Amino acid sequence: MAAIESAERPVVKKPIDWWRWAGRAFLTFLMLFTVLPMAWMVLTSVKSQFAAMQYPPQWWPTEPTLNNYLKLLDPTNRVGQDFLRYFWNSFYVSLLTTILGVVVAVPAAYAFSRFRFPGRNFLFFSVLVRNMFPAVVFLMPLFLLMRWMGLVNTHGSLILTYLTFGLPLSIWLLKGFYDNIPIQLEQAARIDGATRFQAFLLIVMPLSTPGIIATSIFSFIGAWNEYVYAYTFLSRDDQMTLPVGIQRFFTEFATDWPGLMAATFMMSVPVVVLFLVLQKYFVRALTEGAVKH
Amino acid sequence: MAEVVLKDVMKNYGSLYAVNNVSFTVEHGEFVALVGPSGCGKTTTLNLIAGLIPMSGGDISIGNCIVNELDPKDRDIAMVFQNYALYPNKSVFKNLAFPLQMRKLPKSEIEAKVTQAARILDITHLLDRRPRELSGGQQQRVALGRALVRDPAVFLMDEPLSNLDAKLRVAMRSEIKRFHHNLNATVIYVTHDQLEAVTMADKMAVMHGGVLQQYDSPANVFANPVNTFVASFVGSPAMSLISLEVVTKGTDVALKSAEEGWELPLSAENARKATASSQGTVVLGARHSTLKIHKSQVPGSVPGRVYTVEPTGDVTFAQVFVSGEVVNVSLEPTFAIAPDEEVFVEFDQQRLHLFDGQTTNALKAA
Repeated sequence: MAAIESAERPVVKKPIDWWRWAGRAFLTFLMLFTVLPMAWMVLTSVKSQFAAMQYPPQWWPTEPTLNNYLKLLDPTNRVGQDFLRYFWNSFYVSLLTTILGVVVAVPAAYAFSRFRFPGRNFLFFSVLVRNMFPAVVFLMPLFLLMRWMGLVNTHGSLILTYLTFGLPLSIWLLKGFYDNIPIQLEQAARIDGATRFQAFLLIVMPLSTPGIIATSIFSFIGAWNEYVYAYTFLSRDDQMTLPVGIQRFFTEFATDWPGLMAATFMMSVPVVVLFLVLQKYFVRALTEGAVKH
Repeated sequence: MAEVVLKDVMKNYGSLYAVNNVSFTVEHGEFVALVGPSGCGKTTTLNLIAGLIPMSGGDISIGNCIVNELDPKDRDIAMVFQNYALYPNKSVFKNLAFPLQMRKLPKSEIEAKVTQAARILDITHLLDRRPRELSGGQQQRVALGRALVRDPAVFLMDEPLSNLDAKLRVAMRSEIKRFHHNLNATVIYVTHDQLEAVTMADKMAVMHGGVLQQYDSPANVFANPVNTFVASFVGSPAMSLISLEVVTKGTDVALKSAEEGWELPLSAENARKATASSQGTVVLGARHSTLKIHKSQVPGSVPGRVYTVEPTGDVTFAQVFVSGEVVNVSLEPTFAIAPDEEVFVEFDQQRLHLFDGQTTNALKAA
């Protein structure tokens, strides 16, 4: 009798996991907080002017139209011309910032990682300290510097400034990568016939590719979205980048809300695409570069 | 294959001398082990020979050619690292091919050399894999292969077996020894494991604190260590060392224990050595296989107390406190002995070592 297992298991009521549900509620709230404005933006962008001004607001457009987008992308009318120019300016500045950022950060990170030179720790630390200050703090000094260098109203001023902001993080991230790559790999390559530089280029640098990609993403997005410095350093209309251009552009004619939404949406497209395509490397970079093997 | 000559090689970092005036010669086809505890300068010496770090002084020549100023790639050497240092993003084939590609050899020749090396090391079936898909032993063989394709003058190996588990280490030890034998290669091998050095090398260079202590065949280093460091480094369990005073009564010389007061008379030859000590103190060294334990006093024995007994199956090791120091004695497994027993340790006068108590150098008959 003792060996027979009870046929009926006692029913135990599983307690409601309050923490879990609270967590889920919080995440849902965060998601709505982020997504709703974007959804509203997209919905507005396909409305006509009149539909957009409705109060109470029309949630779902009754007559969705792509006119706003077409107008912005049409190079024959002035609006389109301006927008496309702003888009190109932003793209050009962000791309250059990214490329130059990588070109500078990679060797710098390698040097900080591998070499011992006087002032190394101080230099590395000061590079990080820069990150502690909000960007706006440097606005006046940098403007004066750019004016002294004759760079005001050029894209160069922006590229240089964005580099200054982006490099600390890039160097720090990449240094983490190089710290984790064993020096024996370079030594083996040098014995196998590579010069020190070849060993770096052919063996070590490829191993830091996730870091380079993450760095590029950061730099590009930082430059793409930047408003304050672009607003301050550029005054000529044909030079404007998207953030400034869109803002100026739309206060000229009383606010064309759907148009504004359409422009903003198109401005966010490259960023989202970049993230989606490269997110795998991004995550790898943040974990691999940080963990010490 | 060539000989390697180090002459007064120095490497210092400020006031720290990592390699201090090291000189030795490696003959063609010899297997030389650089041994010593961590931090003794052996890996630094190897890196200097490879040219990975610049020398602070001295000359290194490989094959009658002074290589002081040459880059690693121009020294005709190949190196095997402790962590293998295989190129992670390349296949095994590409790893083996890389050194040949760097030398701009034609593709057909590269293919031929790589397949030959793969065959010698039995890794042909691994050529398409990535290093991370291989076991430790396989990675080790690929690392050896990458060195082999170069057909260098000298093979440098930096603790290649340290990352392997004990059983694999023993197996790879024989493989490397065969490798050396079949190729008649000149090998310089760094290790902190004296057993590896003793079993594999034709000559051992024992280093300590950046200074070369002794450079000789393992048999000689074992039988005639030049100082207490070398004496206690080579051999396992280590040689037992006891500090004693020299007392002379007329023509008889004995060693006296300051701790316990007993005296051990010395043979004529040992007496001559003892009297050559600088300050009248010596360190007596005896290997476990030369000592005997008796339950009662016999001539040439001194009292001691058993500390622990370690039966290993083949042989039993006993640690005995003699004059305040632990002495290792190996015994037949059937010998009955227990901790805290009072016993007598007998020294073999022909096979004991005497070192100067002050300088720790081996004493020679004056």
